[in-house]
Amino acid sequence: MIDHQKFTDWIDKWLRNELTETERLEFETLRRSDPVLAQRALEQQQLAKALKNYGQRTDFRSRLNRIHARLDMDAVRDEASQVSKVRKLHRNGGTIRQLWQTYRPILAVAASVALITTFGTLMLVRQYQSSHKQQEQYSMMRRDLQAIRRSQNAILQDLNARERALQINPGQVAGSGFLLSPDGYLVTNTHIIQDADSVYIQSTHGDIYKAKVVYADRKYDLAILQVHEDSAFRVKTVLPYGFEAGPTDLGERVFTLGFPREEIVYGEGYLSSQTGYRGDSTAFQVAISVNPGNSGGPLLDEKGNVIGIISGKQTSSEGATFAIKTDYLFRAISAIPTDSLKNSSIRMSRKNGLAKLARKDQIKKIQESVYMVKVFKHEK
Amino acid sequence: MTESNRLHVSDDQLLAGLANGSDEMLEELYRRYFPMVLHLIQNNSGSEDDAKDIYQETLIVLYEKVTSDSLELHCQLKTYLYSVSRRLWLKQLSKRSRNGHSLIDTEDLADVDNDLVDHEARDRQFDLMADSLDRLGEPCRTLLEDFYIRHLSMQDLTEKFGYTNADNAKTQKYKCLMRLKRLFFSVFKEE
Repeated sequence: MIDHQKFTDWIDKWLRNELTETERLEFETLRRSDPVLAQRALEQQQLAKALKNYGQRTDFRSRLNRIHARLDMDAVRDEASQVSKVRKLHRNGGTIRQLWQTYRPILAVAASVALITTFGTLMLVRQYQSSHKQQEQYSMMRRDLQAIRRSQNAILQDLNARERALQINPGQVAGSGFLLSPDGYLVTNTHIIQDADSVYIQSTHGDIYKAKVVYADRKYDLAILQVHEDSAFRVKTVLPYGFEAGPTDLGERVFTLGFPREEIVYGEGYLSSQTGYRGDSTAFQVAISVNPGNSGGPLLDEKGNVIGIISGKQTSSEGATFAIKTDYLFRAISAIPTDSLKNSSIRMSRKNGLAKLARKDQIKKIQESVYMVKVFKHEK
Repeated sequence: MTESNRLHVSDDQLLAGLANGSDEMLEELYRRYFPMVLHLIQNNSGSEDDAKDIYQETLIVLYEKVTSDSLELHCQLKTYLYSVSRRLWLKQLSKRSRNGHSLIDTEDLADVDNDLVDHEARDRQFDLMADSLDRLGEPCRTLLEDFYIRHLSMQDLTEKFGYTNADNAKTQKYKCLMRLKRLFFSVFKEE
């Protein structure tokens, strides 16, 4: 068995090609027969090579440093500055390409930000618009009379002279209203009488009276009218219906009377929600089909108590009609300045003489107190 | 070195000179392409010293390729050197963690990926050897360097280090080599 140190020597000699022929043969035989020795030879070879590479690079580095020290740096700097000039001449549009390559990542980021912002804004705008649209879904049930002027003319033809005068300038907006008290106070919606030059009410018999606006409340959309010093208006002794401000249960059968056309129209349904449009707590939602002109009409329960005033409906869904609660009618009335009511307060009755009557008879009595409200405005 | 002298040497002659270890050719090579690299580095937020370091490392890549006979030049020598320098500088920049590692280029580029992978392996080996030799200390370091790098004979070493005889020198060298082997392979094999 050859000793460790001697074998190491042999490897050195083998690497340097200094082995004699006999030594080389013996070395090769040893290597082939003993894998441990073979591995050691390989490692030593690697080590020697690494050492050689190390020496070579160190040596080369010092050569480079020597050369660099001798270098005429001014000339090199000159030449370096010429590189750019030559390049610029050679390459048309090179600057743009360089800028593009330099700022490409930044541009990419900027572009993404722009895209996100654009689409984000678009989405927000759409959202805003759709919520806006919902607002517009609430439509006020007043009637624009311009559109039906012709048919109205035909109906009014046989009426008396006062009505003839109206025929020349028929009402532009119409809605419904009903008596609050026997002496000529009526309630209707503010949106019907706003911007009015004059307001007339017309009974189911076709009698027309001039009315004045006593009070208009925009918040609750309620307006109080009073028949204006008209001797022809027959003061009633008592109203057939009473006013009920207490709570009303869901599912309560309700009905309304109004003037979506020249004739009074009866509508029937049920109370479907305690709140109005978008959770408005001043109103009910009722399932009654109404049309322009129904606004301002009374909403009555089974017994004939007024529980609300029809004010509008949701256009996007069928049968969602809204009525302002009677409670808020009381609040509006109590808010009227006392000097607006010349002689007396509005005497409203909770008494109700309809409870035991059949619906047909109820309607007969109630319709006497429901009026069409006609509004005249200046042509703009 | 004069201007006229410079113009007559081709790139091939320069490479041959580099392989032979000709100082004259190396100096010519160094002089010829340094301005280009200097321009590259200085245009991309580097200093003159950075340019020197990058250029010398580039030449080391070239030199080690040439001496190991593994240089396959598919482009102009200029393009090759530019591409290598560029890559080395990009790496340096990312080490310094600057933003936007895209350089303003003035030259065409060549694919030098493989060469740089080789270079990195050699770099690791070099650093490891330098570290091992540092830890080895004297006189072992010089002894081994003289024998394996400068190829002195055992007789020369016996005289230089004042050993009583060649066997004594051999024993010393053997001990030193075993220590270096442990130092070097303890890390080298892990990789």
